[in-house]
Amino acid sequence: MSTLLITHPCFVDHDTGPGHPERPDRMRAIDKVLRHEFYSGLVREEAWFREDAEESILRAHPQRYLDMVKAARPEPGGGRVHLDGDTVMSPGTWEAAIRAVGAGLGAVDRVLDKKSNIKNAFCQIRPCGHHAEAERAMGFCLFANAAIAGMYAREKHGVERVAVVDFDVHHGNGTQDIFWSDKDLFFASTHQMPLFPGTGAVSETGVGNICNAPLRSGDGGEPFRDAFESRIFPALKNFSPDLIVISAGFDAHEADPLASLRLVEADFLWVTEKLLAYADKQCEGRVVSMLEGGYDLTALARSVGVHVRAMMEAG
Amino acid sequence: MVTEKNAEGHADISTLSFEKALFQLEEIVQKLERGDVELEESIAIYERGDALKAHCNRLLAQAEAKVEKITTDSAGQPAGVEPLDPK
Repeated sequence: MSTLLITHPCFVDHDTGPGHPERPDRMRAIDKVLRHEFYSGLVREEAWFREDAEESILRAHPQRYLDMVKAARPEPGGGRVHLDGDTVMSPGTWEAAIRAVGAGLGAVDRVLDKKSNIKNAFCQIRPCGHHAEAERAMGFCLFANAAIAGMYAREKHGVERVAVVDFDVHHGNGTQDIFWSDKDLFFASTHQMPLFPGTGAVSETGVGNICNAPLRSGDGGEPFRDAFESRIFPALKNFSPDLIVISAGFDAHEADPLASLRLVEADFLWVTEKLLAYADKQCEGRVVSMLEGGYDLTALARSVGVHVRAMMEAG
Repeated sequence: MVTEKNAEGHADISTLSFEKALFQLEEIVQKLERGDVELEESIAIYERGDALKAHCNRLLAQAEAKVEKITTDSAGQPAGVEPLDPK
């Protein structure tokens, strides 16, 4: 059984402009690591521009939101359009966003297809997704990639219960917003608080399907691991998912410029291995991991490196 | 905790009065709680808030030291204010 890596050259064409932390070089930095011989065992596919991408987006976002994003697309050769202070569309953004959604859909198809020989998948994508609420683009995110992948798995593959586990340093307000009142969709998050986007308190519990474990500025590996051991894993086990989607942001790394948690690569390795071991017991190892944040290029590339390697060695 | 990443840019805080620093801190807390801050700016504003909090704490500690000096001075009888010798 193999690990699938899904990415696409067009992800560098999502041009956020000079000085923007969510930049094309993030893809190039990860490419440098993942093209090493160490990763030759990966099955590699390019993210698809799928006909059902828009229909899949509509499970998480209303038509009027999709229409708004579509209408905001700059013409080829045109300038950048700001959807908010952080979130930018360039002429290359639409294709990247649709292929980022397509990566999640394709990953779900492969991981849930018993004949595919794929045990798990990592989507190396831009733009990220976990801040995109049902009707609001924000925090570098247009469409809620992880939520869309989970809802697609339920609709198209008959998977009953999907969990999204989010260890990006910022709270995944978008995924939470979209999953809020659906008891068969579970969302768990560790994040620095207070920080953007302002949500993620323990008291935000949805219909019992939301588990937030906020961390404090300066927290390192020990409080992070404790948050998983004492809060997230018990809630996840109680939920008993049939598929786990990871919102894999690596900006809780100590080197990240946009936050002040103190994780290191070993912590990302730990949480990845724990999630995979649980998935192995609970849902035949079915894990789809989707890239979210991570803005220090070296820390991002190294952290993705250990995350993907752990996925290759799982099971 | 003010990290090294954004430690510069808070030098003005040490000159603020307690009231002004607290006012700025309350504004920052409200902005963060309302989600009014952009992602890219969020960590900078958080760290300014942290620096303001540290400054307010310092001023409070000095004030407490002063009060303590009065109350412990003379067996329950106020004995006036001695000049504070801040550490």
